[in-house]
Amino acid sequence: MAKKLFLIFGPVVFAALLLFALLFSPFKLNHITAKTENKAALALSPNVLKGQVIKESALSHEKFVPFFGSSEFSRFDFSHPSVLATKYNRSYTPFLMGAPGTQSLTHYFQMQLITSQMKNRKAVFVISPQWFVKKGARKDAFGFYYSPLQSTTWLLDRKQNNATDRYAAQRLLDMPSGNANHTIMMALRRVAKGQKITHQQRTYLIYEQRLLQHEDQLFSALKIKNNQRKIDRLTKQLPEHYQLHELNQLAVKQGEKHTTNNRFGIDNRFYARRLRSKEKKFKNFEQNWTYTQSPEFSDFELVLDQFAASDTNVEFIIPPVNEKWSKYTGLSTKMLKQFDQKIRYQLTSQGFTNICDLSDKGDVPYFMQDTIHLGWRGWLAADQAIDPFLTQKQTTPTYHMNNKFYSKEWQNQLKVNN
Amino acid sequence: MLSFTPYENPMYFGILGLGLLPIVIGILCGKRFHWYETLISVFFLILTFGGPKLTQGFALIAYLIYEVLLVWCYTKYRKKNNNTGVFVSAVILAIIPLVIVKLTPAIQNGKQSIIGFLGISYLTFKAVQTIMESRDGVLKAFNPWFFLQFLVFFPTISSGPIDRYRRFKRDYDRVPKQGKYLQLLQKGLHNIFKGFIYKYMLAYVFGTMLLPKLEHQALMAHGLSWSLVGVMYVYSMYLFFDFAGYSLFAVGTSYFMGIETPMNFNSPFKSRNIKDFWNRWHMTLSFWFRDYIYMRLVFFFMKHKVFKSPKTTANVTYILNMTIMGFWHGVTWYYVTYGILHGAALVVNDWWLRYKKSHRGQIPHNKFTEVFATFITFNFVCFTFLLFSGFLNKMIMMK
Repeated sequence: MAKKLFLIFGPVVFAALLLFALLFSPFKLNHITAKTENKAALALSPNVLKGQVIKESALSHEKFVPFFGSSEFSRFDFSHPSVLATKYNRSYTPFLMGAPGTQSLTHYFQMQLITSQMKNRKAVFVISPQWFVKKGARKDAFGFYYSPLQSTTWLLDRKQNNATDRYAAQRLLDMPSGNANHTIMMALRRVAKGQKITHQQRTYLIYEQRLLQHEDQLFSALKIKNNQRKIDRLTKQLPEHYQLHELNQLAVKQGEKHTTNNRFGIDNRFYARRLRSKEKKFKNFEQNWTYTQSPEFSDFELVLDQFAASDTNVEFIIPPVNEKWSKYTGLSTKMLKQFDQKIRYQLTSQGFTNICDLSDKGDVPYFMQDTIHLGWRGWLAADQAIDPFLTQKQTTPTYHMNNKFYSKEWQNQLKVNN
Repeated sequence: MLSFTPYENPMYFGILGLGLLPIVIGILCGKRFHWYETLISVFFLILTFGGPKLTQGFALIAYLIYEVLLVWCYTKYRKKNNNTGVFVSAVILAIIPLVIVKLTPAIQNGKQSIIGFLGISYLTFKAVQTIMESRDGVLKAFNPWFFLQFLVFFPTISSGPIDRYRRFKRDYDRVPKQGKYLQLLQKGLHNIFKGFIYKYMLAYVFGTMLLPKLEHQALMAHGLSWSLVGVMYVYSMYLFFDFAGYSLFAVGTSYFMGIETPMNFNSPFKSRNIKDFWNRWHMTLSFWFRDYIYMRLVFFFMKHKVFKSPKTTANVTYILNMTIMGFWHGVTWYYVTYGILHGAALVVNDWWLRYKKSHRGQIPHNKFTEVFATFITFNFVCFTFLLFSGFLNKMIMMK
């Protein structure tokens, strides 16, 4: 009987033990190749953004620089940062982290997986005014880019409990993602209340983290979008040598060529697909929109706090909105100006002084590719700040963070007095 | 509190494995601990119906008390008398809770009835079958405590397979011989692992990876499109692998407990005709309908000479039988149409087989016609599953 039982259950027990050993072992299960890193830097795939192993591996090389942002990165054209860096053999390669729906809170938590790679390094951060809506980050979009690996790592890294931690824990608990796992939820509740996580919670989180890391190691590299061909095709459009005047002319020419079917200077394909049939509906549609009152300001403060904690030197880019379009939709210019002042105050008052503020360039022809995304001349203008920032030596910034930016008062404050 | 949908994740299987261990050791030593089986059943019922689903738990308890008392009373009565009116009333009373649960969403805009719980249909099938077998006189020794065990047998409680009282009792009372039980363990484990492949790999590929994309494309196309054809096949595959996978878990778990719960699926897409299909698809349900609805209706019509020809009797009963099955799935136009279509298909199938028999020699029968028949049956079934999925309804509502 024993032999028969062994023949029946032996393989199952053996397989189960092997699987347990594999999933909970403290060893790294794979090796990320340079090819994967290069592909991932352009991929904009959610599994790369969510995960750890690929970002960590790529950013361990000096040449990769994290570019945080959102949907603008997927608008590849000849002046896109990745194209320029490739063509002119720059010393840096942008590692693009951003996709439609990634906002400050997503970035704060996904950064938790690369904190040591960000230490004393440079980064670029594109701020979208459109993030700063009344309701703040969308719950489903946050959930899409969230992985429990982010929260377990974050929870295990909390040393002392400060205002930043309490705010972040509370924000995560506001999202369905923060409540999906019972232990993580209970641990977050403790942190939000200013307590330390319990010993049992810590033990659980350590094993959970290992399991999730192994999942990330085994599966993240399997599905990475390949955008290399797009980049190669676009680099061919560029002149051999970098000459701003020539590039600017090229940008105007390209812009003219691609914006022929509408009066807003919007890319033909975007206009045809997304706006033409609904154009009428947009007339004065955005009249009462505001980007000046939003919980996003405090979420953004989390990101700044993380940059300060890891001494990252960051170039912030504030893009404009397409003025021809915003006039049509009735989006308030005054409100946009207020937003610009408010975000600049939050940055400069805490020592973040590398700001490439393009917010007044919305009326420059072919600056934007569509309604809100940087295009031909826009990326070129951004490059005037990005390239020197990344290739030249910068003075080490000193940050002095202020917890008032986590307050409801700041979130809702309309004007700042500089 | 911990709460699970049966067989939903690795943790459930871990707990299941530990819970089954004493039973397995017991049977291997030639002993059955009925008290432990009851204990473990209650434990898994609490896992399934406790915590956030406690209202369902209360509904289950109330339902069980009601059905056990009802069937008990009827069997007591049946020992002395055999009035048709009483029998019919008992059956109606037994199905009333199910009828209320099925009608509530149709009447109250999709709101679920508070007396409903996961698996109410399957318990009702068992109860009705017990009443009918008592009426027939084949079920003589009724034991309410055993009946309760039969109803709540936890591996099959949420979605079948539907076992029969007497068959279950034979297994329950007996301790399988060691050699035979070792075979059961082997088969059980095989079933569970096949279930993993079906439910967690194939159903995942079809249902989670492919279906949402195709559905989205089909909705965007507004009307007939190749994506809709894709939805039809992909949904059919998902439905099969999901349900067959679940059934394999239930059967496998039963085997570990020394109970040979009948199989639910037997390569249904290999069927050569629609009758063959219903002998292979959700078998315990279709056999239940055959024995307790189809046969009963046929006897009733013949006894009262409602129809002149036996052919008409069979045809009308096919349609009635399948329409009732449609209503059982839910009171929506697409479930009912699904039932009627299958009823009609059975009628056409019978007619064709008779026609073929009377024209022997004129109609070819070879490997090719067999493959062709399988192909037609498969496509018809997939089309009815598209209806069944409710996706067409969603498309119409979108417009």
